[in-house]
Amino acid sequence: MNNKKQRGYVSLPGIGDLALSGLRPLIGILLGLIAGAGLIALSGVNPLSAYVAMLKGAFGSPQAFANVLVRASPLLIGGVGVAIGIKAGLWNVGIEGYMYAGAIGAGMVGIAALPVAPIVHIILSFLAAIAFAVVWGLGPAYMKAYRGVNEVVATIMMNYVAIFFTSWMVHEPQPMAEPGSFFPMSRMIAPTAKLPILMKGTSLHPGFIIGLIACVVLYFVLRYTPFGFRTRMLGVNPVGSRYAGVNVRQQMLFVLLIGALMGGVSGAVEILGLKQRVYMDFVAGVGYESVAVALLAGGNPLGVIASALFFSALKAGGATMSIQTGVGGPMTVVIEALCVIFVIGVGYSERKRLERLDVAEKEDKEVEYDVA
Amino acid sequence: MRVKDVFMTQNIEIAMRMEGITKRFPGVLANDRISLDCRKGEVLGLLGENGAGKTTLMNILYGLHQPDSGKIFIEGKEVKIESPAKAIELGIGMVHQHFKLVDTLTALENVILGIPSEHPMVLDLAPARKRFLSLCEEYDLYVDPTVETWRLSVGKQQWLEILKALYRDARLLVLDEPTAVLTPSEGEQLFKAIRKLTKEGRSVIFISHKFGEVLEITDRITVIRDGHVVGTVPTKEATYPELARMMVGRPVSMDRKPRPSATKIDPVLVMENVQANNDRGLPALKNINLTVKAGEIVGVAGVDGNGQLELAECIVGLRKRTGGSIRIQGHDVDRVMADPSFVGYIPADRQKVGLFLTLTVAENLVVKDYAKPPFTRRGVLRYQAIRQHANRLIKEYNIRTPSSEVQVVHLSGGNQQKVVVAREMSAQPPLVIASQATRGLDLGAVESVHNFLLKERNRGAAVLFISTELQEVMSLSDRIIVMFRGEIMGEMDGEAADINVIGQMMLGQVTEVVA
Repeated sequence: MNNKKQRGYVSLPGIGDLALSGLRPLIGILLGLIAGAGLIALSGVNPLSAYVAMLKGAFGSPQAFANVLVRASPLLIGGVGVAIGIKAGLWNVGIEGYMYAGAIGAGMVGIAALPVAPIVHIILSFLAAIAFAVVWGLGPAYMKAYRGVNEVVATIMMNYVAIFFTSWMVHEPQPMAEPGSFFPMSRMIAPTAKLPILMKGTSLHPGFIIGLIACVVLYFVLRYTPFGFRTRMLGVNPVGSRYAGVNVRQQMLFVLLIGALMGGVSGAVEILGLKQRVYMDFVAGVGYESVAVALLAGGNPLGVIASALFFSALKAGGATMSIQTGVGGPMTVVIEALCVIFVIGVGYSERKRLERLDVAEKEDKEVEYDVA
Repeated sequence: MRVKDVFMTQNIEIAMRMEGITKRFPGVLANDRISLDCRKGEVLGLLGENGAGKTTLMNILYGLHQPDSGKIFIEGKEVKIESPAKAIELGIGMVHQHFKLVDTLTALENVILGIPSEHPMVLDLAPARKRFLSLCEEYDLYVDPTVETWRLSVGKQQWLEILKALYRDARLLVLDEPTAVLTPSEGEQLFKAIRKLTKEGRSVIFISHKFGEVLEITDRITVIRDGHVVGTVPTKEATYPELARMMVGRPVSMDRKPRPSATKIDPVLVMENVQANNDRGLPALKNINLTVKAGEIVGVAGVDGNGQLELAECIVGLRKRTGGSIRIQGHDVDRVMADPSFVGYIPADRQKVGLFLTLTVAENLVVKDYAKPPFTRRGVLRYQAIRQHANRLIKEYNIRTPSSEVQVVHLSGGNQQKVVVAREMSAQPPLVIASQATRGLDLGAVESVHNFLLKERNRGAAVLFISTELQEVMSLSDRIIVMFRGEIMGEMDGEAADINVIGQMMLGQVTEVVA
């Protein structure tokens, strides 16, 4: 009798469960690294020395860490764009495409020799990037929100369009293209549009600061603004949101466009900070990696900071590992993938376990009883 | 086996006996040393409140769960039922509350699914069809064998489940809440079939919470409360108040709820010639004309699926109507979506529509008002105000939760419903729509929902109370309308309503309207 009352009352996960839910990504990452170690061992290298080389490559010197931050910049910005989508229950996997669109926008303005101060030129380039990316994102966002097209399909397909559109834009005789180059690419951006280098001897640009700010700002938006509250409502229960008076379609549109905006900024940072030219394939999967980053972070903008750093450290360190120990370069990609899979796996098994508890508890409640 | 011997000397054959069945789930004792038996050729009623442990017990019998301790005897022999396959082999058939049919297969294919064919490489349906049709005829439960299951009505699907069990020659049939999905006439047909089954010496365990039908169809009734058997009584000697007391553990009042007479007469909800389609695009509402005035509860009776859901959804603006007009306090209903504080809505499916399961209790209580002060000031959500608001409602509506910061998913069904009720009522809306508001709740929660609705009525709200449970409609309503196939069959005063007249209307028989 007592027993039943307690069950009807409330069931909270125990301390172990709570700790586990916070530690879940870490456990997943750990398992991923262990599995990766197995693969490294299979290729005939001591995994420990490989990981030590990797750590050194990522954190061994200020220059190395600067490299990590450079790689983290687009992942931070793109990742948080995906993350807000996840919170709204939307898979905005079009970051790759938005990056290209943003790069074209930033490139067009950045290449032009404008008689303005560098800061103004940079801001104008960013604004152009945002405008291009948002216009680019409007198509799939509209299709999802107002026409019910699956956003994964719509955004992924647009990525391919973006890649080839970029290719066309940097081929002669398009005005952006570098005349007479071996490889189709745009002209170099003007010196006034370049992001400043923060550390001599490295390519460290302020992109990671933009990324950090974006993560923190979007965290606050999600948690502390009506817009963010609506977004989370939408992610938890779209039908309920509609009933509670949320304009669900408009909210979806906005959330997808924020992702597009972030993707545009991410592309602009790459162009203005690092690549200095626009060319086909310059993104090279960073947009998709942003999705993995957001996934690893469970859609939490602050988590994106950690997971973006983790990914870029793995990448930067992986190069050193490859040189010092002879482990193949693709190994880092394999380890990345393993970590994501394990994080998802740990989350899945944890959810199943909780569900089983819930089912056992609620099983008896299926039979209803009414008395009037 | 001494107990068995006693029965043998009394010359009563026991089809199935459970002895000391105990089943513990993490932190829950679902079955506590339950012993019961079912005789050959009898209908045993299994009566118990929500959460009493009936379904777990039957799942153990069907091999879906293993008991922690206890024994099961089939026809005198102790058996271990480790899987449903074993249960079927032992002649046990089970019709779950939620059917286990494959939607895209035909009725016949569903029936033979899982039975090894005599010729493993060939699927010869002809003999199966013959046997199936003869079963249909024998028990007067006709289902077209060639129709895909998804096209069958819920009632026919249930018959199909029964036929499936009979095809496997089940000698003990467990029916879990069988009438919940049936129209009254389908129910009668089911009862006829049950009587025929028992005449042949088969046994039936009939799980239900509806006293009327348990008293009508069963031979003996075993009552379960809090995981243990309260008692077993021969149906002939059972009385309604006695059963209710056994089930709930205290006397239950079934009387009409007392209330002050209504003073206001302003119409709040006015529906004129409203038409709407269901999810499949078929007409679900046909020319509904309905007025609900301030300070009255209008009860909507009817068998589930006769347009009640669509009616509620049209009023709250979740469903587009195909014709007619709905006005709330003179405003067109389309305004309701823009300003949800106009209507308090307790949806039939609270988890799908009413709640945000992984948001906290406090957040769930403000999903309609989060953007207004004091919850949002200068564009920023004020969690302190949101928490204060939550703590006030938790107290006022007696929501049992350790804190306002707990995710709603962790609350029990009754307390989840109280969260919905608290949110919807606290804004004091002029119109309240309660759609199957007590479905799946246990007794205490049902009573409190009723009391909250009555309080709303007495405050002067217009309340539309939709329920398939006739008894609660009759005890709570000032006026009762009956819906059948998307139409209002009739309307009567709640005080003077005759349950027989309502029953006829629920079947679609037009009766003279008693105003």
